[in-house]
Amino acid sequence: MIPDAALRLPPRAGGQASRVRRAVLRNRGRAGERAYTALRWVGAGLFGAVVVALLLSIAGDSGQALLHSGIGFLWSGTWNPAAGQYGAGILVVGTLLTTAVAMVIVVPIGLGTAAFLSELAPRWLAAPLSTLIGLLAAVASIVVGLWGLIVLTPIFANQVEPFLASMPVLGWLFRGEAYGPSVLLASVVLAVMTLPTMVALSRTALAGVPVADREAALALGATRWQAVRRAVIPAARSGIQAAVTLAIGRAMGESIAVAMVIGNRPAIPASLTAPGATLGSAIVNQFAEATPGIGTSSVIALGAVLLLLTVAVNAGGQALLRRGRAIPVSTAGALR
Amino acid sequence: MITLSSVRGWNDRGRRLSALVGLALLGVVAACGTSSTPTAKPSAAADASSCTSTTVLSATCDITTPSAVTLTGAGANSIEPFFETVFYEYSQKDPKTTVTYSPAGSSVGVTDIQQATVDFGDSEIPMTSAQLAAATGGTILQIPVDLGGVAISYNAAGVPANLKLNGPTLAGIFDGTITNWDSPQIATVSGVSDLPNLPIKPVHRADASGPGYDLDQYLIDTSPAWVSAIATSTSSRTWPLATVGVGEQLNTGVATYISQTSGSIGFVEYGYALQNGFVNAALLNAAGSYVAPTEQSIALAGAQATSVSATDFNVVNEPGSGTYPIANFSWTLVYQKQADTTTGIALGKLLDWVVTSGQQDAEALGYAPLPANVASLAQTTIRELESSAGTPLFTS
Repeated sequence: MIPDAALRLPPRAGGQASRVRRAVLRNRGRAGERAYTALRWVGAGLFGAVVVALLLSIAGDSGQALLHSGIGFLWSGTWNPAAGQYGAGILVVGTLLTTAVAMVIVVPIGLGTAAFLSELAPRWLAAPLSTLIGLLAAVASIVVGLWGLIVLTPIFANQVEPFLASMPVLGWLFRGEAYGPSVLLASVVLAVMTLPTMVALSRTALAGVPVADREAALALGATRWQAVRRAVIPAARSGIQAAVTLAIGRAMGESIAVAMVIGNRPAIPASLTAPGATLGSAIVNQFAEATPGIGTSSVIALGAVLLLLTVAVNAGGQALLRRGRAIPVSTAGALR
Repeated sequence: MITLSSVRGWNDRGRRLSALVGLALLGVVAACGTSSTPTAKPSAAADASSCTSTTVLSATCDITTPSAVTLTGAGANSIEPFFETVFYEYSQKDPKTTVTYSPAGSSVGVTDIQQATVDFGDSEIPMTSAQLAAATGGTILQIPVDLGGVAISYNAAGVPANLKLNGPTLAGIFDGTITNWDSPQIATVSGVSDLPNLPIKPVHRADASGPGYDLDQYLIDTSPAWVSAIATSTSSRTWPLATVGVGEQLNTGVATYISQTSGSIGFVEYGYALQNGFVNAALLNAAGSYVAPTEQSIALAGAQATSVSATDFNVVNEPGSGTYPIANFSWTLVYQKQADTTTGIALGKLLDWVVTSGQQDAEALGYAPLPANVASLAQTTIRELESSAGTPLFTS
């Protein structure tokens, strides 16, 4: 602390302002600055340490399974713990399939809803509607899974799946016996769970586009729909990309809700209405029973595979989008 | 009769009072001139209507516990209907003991008791020696607490109730060779000629389960085609042919699927089938009869088990003309050495009550009372509970 004399302060006048000024001048804010810097480093370091510890623990515990099954564990086609056969290949296919179908459902609907809420909806509608969608995010995933099991499954088995199978061209995608629990139902449940994320983040992205872009499009004679589609959405691209990335991440990792509605059949689904299995659902079903040693290690190895898959999908998606961008993005890209 | 739970703070006055009442009752009986055998002396008459001992296990003493305690348990989903009722009744009789039970599955029960995170576990299949060796708190006692059966329930309009099925037909349904209810094999075995043209949708347990283990055992015992389909003759808790049909979690998931899906057939604990009002198949037993699951036919399966222990627990496909072929005991798992004496005494009293007085509730819920030899095995095992110092917790 610097003494008053060294600061050459005027004699002590009264008043709060001069007391504060003296305090600031005395410390020059150094102690506070040091504390703040230290806090930032500790926080970041702690977070990084936790993530690294988690990764190391997963890698270590899954080592036994990978040593036993070899690298073939990643793509081996048989997951039959009863017979001691542990292979993640089918589960990877199931995970990618359910996530892809869920994204096909949620990206257009989520983006459309976000565009509606931010561009076209009257204010008296936009606020309650976005609150409702936000409430959907608050519903626990097991509750969504229960709803899927009890409410959606009979509807899908008796009405939706037979109807889809009877469609002229697309019906081929949905052929086969309608069990109810299926890849399609799991994808719908995942879409319901990721919709709030998609809508909220897309809406933020769209709102971040400068008004000038919209006005310019309208001034050139575009309709409102054309302005949204041609001027606003492309400008909000990186924010929407972030929304899709988060939605994919959630959809790939969702386990308990998917386990309740996917039918838990560890085989390549013959069609979208066939039961399937994902990495998450296999972990849910198998973890309690896994025999210590190879069984537990295989289940943790599934977690490691899921982690790697999520990273790969995100990286691949971002690389694709970066390459596809022909025009440099305007200031809306500052959302990154 | 004075209810023990309503009287607090037993002391000499209470004892004297009940001794007087006992004497008075004896006097009335003697005065009526009945030739009933003279019952015990006043002190024993006192025990018959009041019990202050926390170290004696008996019908009256089971509700006397030292102090308030909460017991936590986890384990089999199949025994949940029974446990829910008996634990509630016990807590009405002994308000000092609160029991919470988490029916997350037998495997969870085994893991939790191995790690000593619960006071008791419950499993449809007793622990293997490898699992017992992995227990962190020492020796585990395995106590049979009820006798249940596995029902093959189905939901198919036009199919009569108690459809006769044998092992090979059931195996054909669960391995995907039989795909429709009007298949000739079902018609031949069941003797029903006008079965509906309805696709069969088999449902099994996606998680490890006792009922799955029992059905697997029955199919292995009765169907060579099943043995070759699953490429083993050892039954497993995880359903071996998960690529056929649909898998759901816990008895409740399977029951939900059966109740809402036309054409479905699956296996659930009989207690759940009873609760949901399911229609069940009559299975061919070892004596050649087709028997539907009822409390009586399940009881007969248990009665055949003359030497039951944690290592010899199989009551699937037992002989006897009225025996239901898929039955099993449920085994409660507790540590022999109880770290806390109060908890240990409460645990012992609870379990003794469950295997004696609690068995009266079994039939109404779809279980069968323990046969006499198994009940005495249970009671003997409970008396092996020890304190952390190694002294037995119960004197009788």
